[in-house]
Amino acid sequence: MARVYNWQLGREMSYWYPEARPQRQFAAVFDTNKCIACQTCTLACKTTWTSGKGQEYMLWNNVETKPYGSYPLAYDLKLLDMLNGQQWNGGKYEGQTIFESAPAGERVLGWRPEQQDYAYPNVGEDDCAGQVDHGEFLSLPHMNWFFYLARICNHCTYPACLASCPRGSIYKRPEDGIVLVDQGRCRGYQECVRGCPYKKVFFNPMTGTSEKCIACFPKIEQGIQPQCFVNCIGKIRLAGWISPPAKARPENPIDYLVHIRKVALPLFPQFGLEPNVYYIPPIHAPVSFNQQLFGPGAGEAMKTYRNAMNDPDMASLLCLFGSTEMVVSRFRRQGDQAVATDERGSELVRVPLREPIHVRPAADLKNQLVRINCP
Amino acid sequence: MRYTICLLLLFTAACSRAPKTANEVVAVRSAAIPPEPGDSAWDDAPEYAAKLIPQDLVEPRLMTPSTPEVRVRSVTNGSEIAFRIEWDDATQSDTPGPARMTDACAIQVPEKLEKDLPEPQMGQEGKRVQVTYWRADWQATVNGRGDTIRDIYPNATVDHYPFESKALEKGSEAEKEMARRYAPARALGNIRSGPRSQPVEDLVANGPGTLSPGPSLGAKGKGVHEKQGWAVVISRKLPEGLSPNQRTHMAFAVWQGAQQESGARKMRSGWVPLLWKGE
Repeated sequence: MARVYNWQLGREMSYWYPEARPQRQFAAVFDTNKCIACQTCTLACKTTWTSGKGQEYMLWNNVETKPYGSYPLAYDLKLLDMLNGQQWNGGKYEGQTIFESAPAGERVLGWRPEQQDYAYPNVGEDDCAGQVDHGEFLSLPHMNWFFYLARICNHCTYPACLASCPRGSIYKRPEDGIVLVDQGRCRGYQECVRGCPYKKVFFNPMTGTSEKCIACFPKIEQGIQPQCFVNCIGKIRLAGWISPPAKARPENPIDYLVHIRKVALPLFPQFGLEPNVYYIPPIHAPVSFNQQLFGPGAGEAMKTYRNAMNDPDMASLLCLFGSTEMVVSRFRRQGDQAVATDERGSELVRVPLREPIHVRPAADLKNQLVRINCP
Repeated sequence: MRYTICLLLLFTAACSRAPKTANEVVAVRSAAIPPEPGDSAWDDAPEYAAKLIPQDLVEPRLMTPSTPEVRVRSVTNGSEIAFRIEWDDATQSDTPGPARMTDACAIQVPEKLEKDLPEPQMGQEGKRVQVTYWRADWQATVNGRGDTIRDIYPNATVDHYPFESKALEKGSEAEKEMARRYAPARALGNIRSGPRSQPVEDLVANGPGTLSPGPSLGAKGKGVHEKQGWAVVISRKLPEGLSPNQRTHMAFAVWQGAQQESGARKMRSGWVPLLWKGE
């Protein structure tokens, strides 16, 4: 195995191939606090890419209710159990990744879901953590909680699917870092399904090959955000490009949220894949749970997000989520407006930090009417 | 005297039932290639038991041994060569699916007749091997299993496929084009599953991880599963340059689906001599 640098772990780690970062890396930020689990993203993906024979059970995009929801069933708990408790020391991960803890004869520490594990796309939907029993009629804040976690392929810097494939059928595109299964080369061994800790590669029994999220690359190539982004009615998602930490640019929306403000965090960084979908953690969930999912920075990220209303630059960027179909390469705040521009600097969209408020009195004296709130 | 004759008769009967064995694979002459594993033509060929070992040279390795050996017989009609490969596997695994692997076997022959053999595991750079690969789910398809999800999951419910839209004329090119959009591997001609005329394919390799479609060697096959295991016939063109009473080498591999074996996780043999027995 080669030695590579994983900035999310704050250290070098072992990986099957040498470090080869793409010219630029597709990345995304999901704001979990805004997700309502309407599954519009799931359906947008489903109708676009996985409506064929053998794809019936596949959800390249899914939304699961945490803490219990998981698709496939217990994908996260199972691997966390197999890793058997590992430690962070501040920002440095001192435990073992799935590459470093690979058993003899294996390329990664992995497991393969059974068919029935895919039968419950969101088990525990809207179930709270904890039991109320006879107490806690209403004591706040949020002793019992749940939140929604939207998931796609993380297009990892060190993909376990790619490392697992014994015949090199999976590749990471040098131009944008998108990870793809070569459908002409795959022979359906399902090693990638076994290796991906996020279980975002799926075996298609009708084609006999494995398939996965392609980050809607035909759209990305035209500077347009993927289907699950532009169809998100909660406007929780922003697609873009992430730089390595040393090259972070504050005007780059992803760099700003991930590297500069550290409010968006990777999912299960301890697995060691350097995943490139980043989450603003749910501010009402326990810090300890968020730390298990998003790493040691979760507590600070929650504080930063809570303060967003007093933080106009941060607020301006959050206002740009879901405001344009195009990929936002740069942003800036201009007074009380947020401005998004593309790679060439052309303005894509301009939104106010606060929408103007109009109050209509209940009694309309001019027309002699009483207004009511109609659903 | 009567007692002696009885003993002699019993001994003769026992001898005729016991398979002839050989210490190499011996291809005997047959007027025609027997397509079925149960054909009597196989009785004329001696049986060779090839010991199998786990693939433990490259990751992912097979860490738990499964199939200990394959029993092989071979016949040739002078242009094609066929092998009947039998192994014990009580579980018939011929349905693909998530975490469902299928039974399979393969034979491997050096591409060139030369003294220095390629590496026995998938050949090596500059020394290609020809692989003929049979798979149980392909056999099920050839035997008549349909190409719908309900043929694999009988209780599956499907709301709608875009290519079955009423707006598309049934059987039209537009309908087929729409179906191809949702089956990228098929669109690329990588037919790993679905309709096929033979349960085998011709492949070449020059090292682990390099297996790819090879020039057609006219591979044919037929596998039958009975209680104790599989009997599979694989036939192909005779290795180029091989003459009667001359030897080349071959190797075998077996995958048991029930043991989660696929790809590199397999039982394999080393090189075994293969003799074309002259008339």
